[in-house]
Amino acid sequence: MPRTTTLECPGCPPLRALTFDSLGLIKVIEARGEHGGVPKVVERWGDPHSSNCVLAASIDDSQNDPLLAVARKNGLTDILNPLNGDLRVAISKAGDSGAQPEDDGIVGLHLFKRQREESSSRSRTLLTCTTKGKASMRSIEVTKVSAESSCSTVKSWNVCASGTIAFSKVDISEKFSLFGGKGVEVNVWDLDKCEKIWTAKPPPKNSLGIFTPTWFTSAAFLSIDDHRKFVAGTNDHQVRLYDTSAQRRPVMSFDFRETPIKAVAEEPDSFNIYIGNGSGDLASVDIRTGKLLGCFIGKCSGSIRSIARHPTLPIIASCGLDSYLRFWDIKTRQLLSAVFLKQHLNEVVFDSAFADKEVANAAADAPMLEIQNGNDTQEDATETLPVKRKEAPEEKDRSKKKKSKENEESKKLKSKKKRRAKGDIHDDAS
Amino acid sequence: MGAKRKKSEGEELLNEGEKENDKNNENISKKMKKEILPSMIKNKEKRSAVHAKLKHQKKVEKRKKLKARDAAEKRALELGEEPPARMTPRTIENTREPDETVCRPDDDELFAGNDADEFSSILKQGCAPKILITTCRFNSNRGPAFISELLSVIPNSHYYKRGTYDLKKIIEYAKKKDFTSIIVVHTNRREPDALLIIGLPDGPTAHFKLSKLVLRKDIKNHGNPTGHIPELVLNNFATRLGHRVGRLIQSLFPQSPEFRGRRVVTFHNQRDFIFFRHHRYIFETKESKGSDANGKKAKDAKSEKTSQQKVITRLQECGPRFTLKLVSLQHGTFDTKGGEFEWVHKPEMDTSRRRFFL
Repeated sequence: MPRTTTLECPGCPPLRALTFDSLGLIKVIEARGEHGGVPKVVERWGDPHSSNCVLAASIDDSQNDPLLAVARKNGLTDILNPLNGDLRVAISKAGDSGAQPEDDGIVGLHLFKRQREESSSRSRTLLTCTTKGKASMRSIEVTKVSAESSCSTVKSWNVCASGTIAFSKVDISEKFSLFGGKGVEVNVWDLDKCEKIWTAKPPPKNSLGIFTPTWFTSAAFLSIDDHRKFVAGTNDHQVRLYDTSAQRRPVMSFDFRETPIKAVAEEPDSFNIYIGNGSGDLASVDIRTGKLLGCFIGKCSGSIRSIARHPTLPIIASCGLDSYLRFWDIKTRQLLSAVFLKQHLNEVVFDSAFADKEVANAAADAPMLEIQNGNDTQEDATETLPVKRKEAPEEKDRSKKKKSKENEESKKLKSKKKRRAKGDIHDDAS
Repeated sequence: MGAKRKKSEGEELLNEGEKENDKNNENISKKMKKEILPSMIKNKEKRSAVHAKLKHQKKVEKRKKLKARDAAEKRALELGEEPPARMTPRTIENTREPDETVCRPDDDELFAGNDADEFSSILKQGCAPKILITTCRFNSNRGPAFISELLSVIPNSHYYKRGTYDLKKIIEYAKKKDFTSIIVVHTNRREPDALLIIGLPDGPTAHFKLSKLVLRKDIKNHGNPTGHIPELVLNNFATRLGHRVGRLIQSLFPQSPEFRGRRVVTFHNQRDFIFFRHHRYIFETKESKGSDANGKKAKDAKSEKTSQQKVITRLQECGPRFTLKLVSLQHGTFDTKGGEFEWVHKPEMDTSRRRFFL
């Protein structure tokens, strides 16, 4: 007899997420209602075309003047308003470099949240990185009225001489950035001075004398220790923890399943990370010990391309080639809900400024008003959210208030999962 | 034994004597029987007897029901009324779990996705498909026979010996030579058991399990296919994944069938199994039998009007017969270590037997 367990999806608390797919569509998913709202596609921006394929996206969801940057396959970088999808600025890459956009696509994009000190109040800074290692920082004058704006003060440098860059990440203080890829060891750059401050060293040959070529696929800064610690995932299904203050080789590394790690995301204020791989396995790992805390199980059948952590709620979102956007509870590791979005998804981001239905409607009607109301809504959200957070753990008998408790619990969990995770533990030791 | 038999005979006699009584008691005994299940009787002979009787009763009832239904239908037809609607049997297919990934014809994203995907250049007849067929490292026996039949099924396909080349090297070679797909027939224990279809230059890689292979010479009354470009029938590829697999299969064949050849290649999907069949068909005009039987008087009366000609289609199977089941669909060309999967089967997805992915 086949197993006949039904996965019930409890639904999500109110949230808003944006997904970016291979046809260049941006879809806005919103969950509404106090308890267990079912997320739905609310809006769809852009017209479907393969050359519009989104390669990278970054959101600045600050309360006043939120912005969304989207890098496309045809070399364009659009800056949109994440509330209504209006195009604010379009930057073409062909302007400053003669390279073909097809073979030198943008892989990393970061929209800075804090204002760079030298720039004026209205301008924003954007860090882009292409597959060939051309990183550039530019500040963009974003005018409120229309798409006419100028981008200026381009600061660009070459990250690597050879190889292809697969990702670029910026740490929480937005002073350092991380690059890596196929044939490129992970390196950290100081963004203020534009100089390389640290490079990783490949791990030594194994006992058989076999050297695996470097191929990093994803990375994430651990936000708990500013910029010095970060996690990188490799194509040969290894997850490595680097500490720039300690050594150039990985402090710790462990294997995860059999397919390449495709996405890594960090848990703020904790040592847990989330890893997703090429066959659709999503798991959370305690990076201090490298022990698998548990897998997120829910019919996920395609490669995971992106994992996003909600800034306030205990929720992560994952999306990938199976064209589903899934929301997971990070404590119970339960699937909250899944939305089918029809295309191969490349990125997902959360919009934390979203609070409730009425506000969202108001935002859709009058985006200008929203900016002024932004402060109020944010406060509302912060007032309501902690209550929920308290409720949720009590139900599951999993109150994590003190760190010691948390540790105990994690031990329990580990013992439960011991048999499952045994392979991983062995790998840790090596 | 003898004594027992005698006893039973005696019982029968007794039974005959008591038949009237029995009839009176029947209602009561029936009630009793409903309470006493055959499985509760401990004596095996008694139990089997009771069970057989129950079974027989059920059979008789069923037959009665069918007869009544047929009679009602006949009567309705005679009276010129609408016959009562036939009941449709509940099958696993028509009670399939609702799936949001099923393609809808009014979905503009589906068509935009079609235009953007890897097969659109072939399917829009931008370029002709050119197929490379190869095997796993070691093949013998039914493998080569199967390949020779595949070569006759798929037009413009070329067999290359595998040798000791890596599949990745072969892919590179095929890209250079402008092949549009690669088919790898994998054999295990001298029996083909897997099929790998790789789209080129950057199309997906589908891994199928191959089973129930019957070669042409093992099919009774098989025909021999002609060299015409066959027509292609793709059935029931309903979901987005199924649609993609269907397009992958479609891109193996030229998109301009020669109807003169009267050759059909069918890929029929049912419960996630893809059945492959290869037929020749013919249209034959025959005078219908009914008119012949009622016949001669009518012919005299209405003369030539009754020469109603019925067109009959006849099928002749030719070529191999096999069943495919999708194991995984990989993004990009074949890459076991660094590949990204679009779809892999996982045990947790088997939540119901009424849930299908294609």
